[in-house]
Amino acid sequence: MSIQTFSQWLYATPLAVAFREMVWFIPTVQTIHILAIAILVGAALVSNLRLAGIIATDETPAAVVRRYLPWMGPALIVLLSTGTLLVIAEPGRTLGNTVFWVKMVLVLSGFALTRGFQKPVLALQPVGAAPVALAKPAAWLSLVVWGAVIFCGRFIAYT
Amino acid sequence: MSLQNMLLALYESDFSLWIRQNPPVFPTLESFHVIAIALVFGTILIVDLRLIGFTAHRRSIDKLITELLPFTWGAFALAVVTGLLMFVANAPAYMNNAQFLWKMVVIAAAGINMMIFHATIYRRIADWDVTIPPPNAARTAGVLSITLWLTVIYLGRWIGFTLETFF
Repeated sequence: MSIQTFSQWLYATPLAVAFREMVWFIPTVQTIHILAIAILVGAALVSNLRLAGIIATDETPAAVVRRYLPWMGPALIVLLSTGTLLVIAEPGRTLGNTVFWVKMVLVLSGFALTRGFQKPVLALQPVGAAPVALAKPAAWLSLVVWGAVIFCGRFIAYT
Repeated sequence: MSLQNMLLALYESDFSLWIRQNPPVFPTLESFHVIAIALVFGTILIVDLRLIGFTAHRRSIDKLITELLPFTWGAFALAVVTGLLMFVANAPAYMNNAQFLWKMVVIAAAGINMMIFHATIYRRIADWDVTIPPPNAARTAGVLSITLWLTVIYLGRWIGFTLETFF
């Protein structure tokens, strides 16, 4: 089954039809999607600015990351669930769209970057301990990746 | 010159036309607008939750506010600039859109909430800076702030579904 046939099948399912018929459904789910990305970006911003040495340098990176990391996982789950609902409602807009797949690769990269650095950073305890190698560029890169994710998200509507 | 004529003049300006006639411009403005919203809401939520009594990476609320507010304001400025440019592209349509007008009202309400907070309970911050739970006035300001910004984002998303771009 090609992506196109799958999209057409999904588009015609009673669930997808029901989602589209409720006028409030798509704007409401999109709003929850935006709130979740805001929570993820807020948590990533504070953690990564600490890793980059910009804010809260009198606290350990571990203390800051430990405070905000628990928000990122649930935010990502909300993003994936609301995203799935939006794909079901309008499969043609997403599944056949290159920008959508670029966005998915970027989400995976952001997730991998966060996961990859959380362990060594969390293990760092004393304030003066040597920073984790590459943590600084990785911190900036993660922020750029989440920004690019938002960019792709908006451009899905136009491509 | 009536407001309607001013909006029409704005709509017919070269700059407004340029935004409408170059397909990537408007989505780019929207993307930066969403990035700005994510940064505004993401940072303000951390402060608001701390005001309500949840812990943040700073025990001191004053320290947290001083540390995060520059980012909130910077992102808010980006949201205002990108928002203004989108408005310029379709001024009469936005002015006719109830969701847009309500969004402006709710942003103003969020601003008033913030000013009241700074003019009242924040003046005595030294007394409750590290106290958990914070005083009720601070918790109320936090709950109101989250509610108002949620409403702003919801109304903003609805504009995209209700704006009549062509008339």
